[in-house]
Amino acid sequence: MLDPQIVERVLCTALARGGEYADVFCERKSVTSFRLQSGLIHESALTKTQGAGIRVIAGESAGYAYSDDLSLEALERAARVASLIARSHSAGARSVRLESSAVQPFYDDARSQHEPAETYVALLERADVAARAQSPLVAAVNAHVADELQEVWIGTSDGRWLHDRRPLVSLGVQVVTSHEKQRAYGFVGDGGRTSGAYYQTRTPESIAIEAARIAVTNLDAVPAPAGEMEMIVGSGGGGVLLHEAVGHGLESDFNRQGVSLYSGRVGERVASELVTIYDDGNLDGERGSVSIDDEGTPGQHKVLVERGVLQGYMQDYLNGKLMGVRSTGSGRRQSFRSLPQPRMCNTYMPSGSSTFEEILASTKRGIYAKSFAGGQVEISRGDFVFMVAEGYLVENGRITAPVKNATIVGNGPDVMTKVVAVGNDSCLANRHYTCGKGGQYVPVGVGMPTVKISSITVGGSHVG
Amino acid sequence: MSAENGISHALELAQYAVDAALRAGASQAEATLSIGDRFSCEARGSAVTKLEQSRSRSLHVRVFVGERKAVLSTTDLELPGIQAAAAAAVVQARCVADDPYAGLPEPCAGDAAGEGELDLFSQDVAAREAQDKLDEALELERRIRERDRRILNSNGSHVGDTVATTALVNSRGFSGAYRSTRAHRSSSPVAVEGSTKRTGSYGTAARKLADLEDAGAVASKAVERAVSLFGARKPRTMRVPVIFERDVAASVLSDLFAALSASNAAVGNSWLAGRTGDRIGSDLVTIVDDGTLPGHLGSSPFDGEGVATRRTTVFERGTLRSLLYDTYYARKLGAVSTGNAGGGAIAPNNFYLEAGNGSLDDLIARTPKAILVLETIGFATEHASGTYSRGARGFAIEGGAIAYPVEEFTIASTFGEMLAGIDAVAGDLRFDGSVVSPSFRVSEMTISGE
Repeated sequence: MLDPQIVERVLCTALARGGEYADVFCERKSVTSFRLQSGLIHESALTKTQGAGIRVIAGESAGYAYSDDLSLEALERAARVASLIARSHSAGARSVRLESSAVQPFYDDARSQHEPAETYVALLERADVAARAQSPLVAAVNAHVADELQEVWIGTSDGRWLHDRRPLVSLGVQVVTSHEKQRAYGFVGDGGRTSGAYYQTRTPESIAIEAARIAVTNLDAVPAPAGEMEMIVGSGGGGVLLHEAVGHGLESDFNRQGVSLYSGRVGERVASELVTIYDDGNLDGERGSVSIDDEGTPGQHKVLVERGVLQGYMQDYLNGKLMGVRSTGSGRRQSFRSLPQPRMCNTYMPSGSSTFEEILASTKRGIYAKSFAGGQVEISRGDFVFMVAEGYLVENGRITAPVKNATIVGNGPDVMTKVVAVGNDSCLANRHYTCGKGGQYVPVGVGMPTVKISSITVGGSHVG
Repeated sequence: MSAENGISHALELAQYAVDAALRAGASQAEATLSIGDRFSCEARGSAVTKLEQSRSRSLHVRVFVGERKAVLSTTDLELPGIQAAAAAAVVQARCVADDPYAGLPEPCAGDAAGEGELDLFSQDVAAREAQDKLDEALELERRIRERDRRILNSNGSHVGDTVATTALVNSRGFSGAYRSTRAHRSSSPVAVEGSTKRTGSYGTAARKLADLEDAGAVASKAVERAVSLFGARKPRTMRVPVIFERDVAASVLSDLFAALSASNAAVGNSWLAGRTGDRIGSDLVTIVDDGTLPGHLGSSPFDGEGVATRRTTVFERGTLRSLLYDTYYARKLGAVSTGNAGGGAIAPNNFYLEAGNGSLDDLIARTPKAILVLETIGFATEHASGTYSRGARGFAIEGGAIAYPVEEFTIASTFGEMLAGIDAVAGDLRFDGSVVSPSFRVSEMTISGE
């Protein structure tokens, strides 16, 4: 979309006041989406975004400006604004020569066009029919499908020129059940960095049926108990716990700045020795995969924690440089309007040795959190909160009743020392997670085996 | 380009998009062009660590083909780009089901308030020098460190502003535009005591510089939030009164807003659906949405579909008087738009709980035993059931005074019980956002801790 010779000139302008490094991130994205409500296709949307962001790094500082006008004049203007960050540094003329580098894609890159609208409409209608057929208790079905193609071009002052095409599809189905005055919900979404053809095997029916099953189960849910108890975290979707409780604390910006409780602790024991955590940008088709990150660094498999010992952080270019290490391919951004930040890709815990049955049998009184609706963490202390989307009471080694409105509160490092069993069933969750940090949202993947935590606080409304 | 030229150019582009959609086969169309000049900077310690400055322009178009609707957003504002995108949106609309409620608002008699009357634009924000803002961010960093020796680090102090132009044109003859400004300053100090770190943050925002809290106040409130919870313990699991400090109180109102939104009520996803006229809250609960308050952040002459904003009493002394509507959901539910159309959703104007009297300290002094909540984490997902559950931090109140800090607990109840249980409201309302609230006390909630 941009001529590399123009990018070379823009990079020279960006460095004219003496910045050490500059990059240009140019993006073209189009998203087409449809929403179904009350059995009808309610709305369709089309979003087209394009623009370029120019960053200049000087010491610990970054100057940034973007433009949705891609003319040389507008880009040069943005480059001059970004260069202002370097005002206190010595100026020197630089020349930049870009060399094209090949990118190894980790996603199905075959298609070049969105599918015709009728294809998406049919997916939603099939999901609607399947969910309603599951139970007479189904009162409403809302479904949404989106197909996105993001193309990026990245030019850096150290001479790299890269292009990446990133498809992303998602299909989410929310089912509402009602019985007398009770209402309950179930939501399941799936997709990934692939094309609409994904739904030929992962059918909309399979997604809708799962959502309906959860919504029907939750109709019988009892209020969550309040207080401290044991917790079994479900395989797959339980990975949200890892993401919030540990993952954010291992992003390098918080650690370089010394604000994370994991700052300066590489090589130290930070979790039970049953705990190993990876972050991987190279998994085929996963939402968090990056052939290259948004700074042009190839995605990688990173060992964050091994047998309880902290191994390293997720690095972007700037924080890596300031900490004297290389980027781990973790520099991500929401769009050309934002500076990159160190972010997770697909974060998961590999399998341990326990079976689900053993873990269940060992639990006297607790909650089985099969999946979470969302969570949040405070970085400096690691305190987190999760909402349980599908949860059950466990009493004397048996699942007894579904629970509703359970909120889990805890402290990340504390919970990681309380991991007393890790299941042999690690898997990645359904692909529908999006992570927010500093106002920027990026798609991520999470995964987990069944894990038992010896004690956690459950915030319900039922005291006693 | 002068401001007037900027506005007339924006109106011309919006008109072009409407015409392009009609030429492509739309029966009705509406285009909103938003132009924003944003500046933000961050300082950490004695260095400016980020400087961002950009202009963004985006065009949002709704096209109707009979009773079928599609929406389009694009940043490509070249005329051929607009034309192609409008045509694509018309094609997409043809796949949508007929919906008898879809369409533009009825043309309204009379003019909406102008930009000037509403005092939305401030020249002191638009003309402020970048250096002044960089200096202020550095000053905030200095002040938080001077304030308390335990502040050894920060997540940055931020200063910035946006100067925006909004132009809306539709095929039923509406054409309107206004400029607005927004300035903010905030700081996030990190306090260290032994091996424990705590972050606090506090910020202020307003349409003009004179309405911002000054840098000293921002620094001291941010530091107070960082250091005050050292030594916090987990409270016992119990039922007690809960006092919501005003920022947290505003977050409760945000959740309440979702239940008041007609889009949720129309699909049964609201505990308030069908309850207009019911007595739900205590006498102290008067909640208003008002887009016409001069100088406030939630004010504008017209909403996201060109309907003039107005004042809507939502709860009057505890009785639910009205939900909040855009044109579509008003038609669907047999009501009139309250001027709450936002970017594709129903959005608040200035949505607030009416203030009572006295400061938060006065309220604490009148409370024998309670939990004072300063911060919550987590978010609700179920507006249908109206249940409320959050992780929280704050203080235990005993004998009308702060006794000790508490954390790692949840507070839970239902919105209905909370509104009915509001038995004291402070006078500390500030319009520093579009959803705001004074501090208030709820007579009883469930605390889950030890």
